[in-house]
Amino acid sequence: MIDSTNTSQIFKVSGVSKRYPKAESYSLTDVSFDVIRGEKLGIFGPNGAGKTTLISILSGILPKTSGEVSYYIDNQPTDFIKILPKIGFVPQDFALYQELTAKQNLSYFGKMHGLKNPELEEKITTLLKILGLDHVGNRKLASFSGGMKRRINLAIGLINDPEILFLDEPTVGVDVQSKVAIMTLLNELNAKGTTMIYTSHHLREAEDFCDRTLLLDDGRIIAEGTLHDLLEQHNADSLEDLLINLTGKALRD
Amino acid sequence: MERFKASLVKEILLLLHDKVGLLLMYLMPLLLVFIITIVQDSAFRLVNENRLDILIVNNDKGPLGDSLVESMKNAGSFKIDVKNGINEDQLANLTLEGSKLATLYVPSNFSQSLSTNSKRISDVMLSEFGMETERNSNESNRTELPSGVQLIFDPVLQESFQVTLINNLQTMISGIESKEMIRQLYADMGYDKIPAKILKELNRNRTRIVAKPAMTGESAMVPNSTQHNVPAWSIFAMFFMVISLGSNLVKERISGSFVRLQTIPGSFLHAMFAKITVYSFVALTQLMIMFAIGVYVFPLIGLPKLNLPNHILPFLLISVLSAMAAISYAAMVGTYAKTQEQANGFGAISIIIFAAIGGIWVPSFVMPDYMVMISKLSPLHWCLEGFYSLFLKDGSWDQLLGPVIYLVSFTVLCQFMALWRLRRQHYI
Repeated sequence: MIDSTNTSQIFKVSGVSKRYPKAESYSLTDVSFDVIRGEKLGIFGPNGAGKTTLISILSGILPKTSGEVSYYIDNQPTDFIKILPKIGFVPQDFALYQELTAKQNLSYFGKMHGLKNPELEEKITTLLKILGLDHVGNRKLASFSGGMKRRINLAIGLINDPEILFLDEPTVGVDVQSKVAIMTLLNELNAKGTTMIYTSHHLREAEDFCDRTLLLDDGRIIAEGTLHDLLEQHNADSLEDLLINLTGKALRD
Repeated sequence: MERFKASLVKEILLLLHDKVGLLLMYLMPLLLVFIITIVQDSAFRLVNENRLDILIVNNDKGPLGDSLVESMKNAGSFKIDVKNGINEDQLANLTLEGSKLATLYVPSNFSQSLSTNSKRISDVMLSEFGMETERNSNESNRTELPSGVQLIFDPVLQESFQVTLINNLQTMISGIESKEMIRQLYADMGYDKIPAKILKELNRNRTRIVAKPAMTGESAMVPNSTQHNVPAWSIFAMFFMVISLGSNLVKERISGSFVRLQTIPGSFLHAMFAKITVYSFVALTQLMIMFAIGVYVFPLIGLPKLNLPNHILPFLLISVLSAMAAISYAAMVGTYAKTQEQANGFGAISIIIFAAIGGIWVPSFVMPDYMVMISKLSPLHWCLEGFYSLFLKDGSWDQLLGPVIYLVSFTVLCQFMALWRLRRQHYI
């Protein structure tokens, strides 16, 4: 586990732009920022702002059109391939096999990460217990509620004890109990040093969760800093106010 | 290796969960091969085992109508029922209302017509030999030509059966005509009947037709509906795997599982290899089951037994190449389709078209030239060529060169296109 007092950067994003094939405009334009080890960075913005695209580029799922993303381990520049095993990814979609049981899903992705029994079995038992799913570990996911699937989706992202965790809308569509369970676990992991890059439309949840905020609109960074500083700078009462002030009330596609 | 094993287990679990896919891959081809073989075998028996039901209305006032009926009975290809004294106008209704597939109508002047024709020919022949008959040649010339018989088909009887029936009938009438002509010739020369010695020769001296399949080497293989259908429908079954594998790939892509694997180093290719391994096993077990059914179950229900090829290595090679071609095509469809509906719809229709042009349903040789050329584009055609060389011609390596080259090329092309697509989508 990493040292939580170490505040060195782990990502340095410089002038990154992204244009999808056949798209008329850029989804991201000249985006630059750093990610500091151990922080909880929230990326917010209206629909189509480029949040998921940015997370996908950082986690190596999508290639960038231009710009540079540098990766660091212990303040030393490193290749993406070396940082990849330290990454956990929790996508917005239920990226899991509904035909398999919760344990079979966790076991499969754990083994793909190179984990072996009995450590893997122990890890699965712990995760299921923490997320309140230990009594349904042998049930197929097709029979799970949305909240239960969301928790399994998170558990799969945590199976390899990641040092850097990408969370794309981790609590979308879940009840308050599941939300509390998920956010509690994430805070505990962060307290142990896991860096988190997080997007959500639950702005109240984000206000409590994030150390630092990145606001995107039309693929550009329009504000960056701690929530406290940003609220003061823009004379806003909440993250929601801040977003409305900066991006307007017009509906987005 | 652990990743590959984990992926294998996952694929097997997913496959076992996909009951509809399993039914499509294992049960549907079995049903098809049973039904098609039984139907084709029945058709074969229909014309070869005395089962084509024919009604004969013999209104002939002379003896030749009876001779024709007797010949039809002795031919052994028909089940004959004779009803005499029925009016010509009633024949269509009689055929449609009854259970007969055709009605043969022998008119009242059948013997007379044949006899008149024979007399005319006899007159000409004797005249050519410088012999005169008592008959007035002008009288012969005035006689009408034979009116012939009528054959009224039930419209459901397929054209091939109609042609078979007409050919049989033509042969029998020709025989009767010949005999009548000779009889007339002898009568004109003063004999009251054909001498027994000549008659015996006429009946005996038939040119025997020996029909046998062209084959290299010594083989006991007999072309029949089983030898044709089991390999053909096994190939169709393997390619129909596109429904299961294609939609499986799309589903994993849409669900985001592929995206998750992208963030796990080296895991994606393990997952793909495991998928190909499991479906290769499925394809080869499909073949084994279909062939085992042909060998062990078909004889129990009265169908011809499947004779496996003598050359085991070429047989294994064609089986593996066919399986790889089917899986590679399914993988390609799965990587290009955007939805499961697209993969299922395009996959199924493309395989049906490949099967149709590839000779699975109708042999390629009956197609027009341009369709024969088009059929060579179908991977099913080349799989079939390979299996037919083995199952029907007992072929060896030389005959398999074409199918092997095509199937390897097709497999490489599909794999390349699938990998290119996955590369473009940044999964690998």
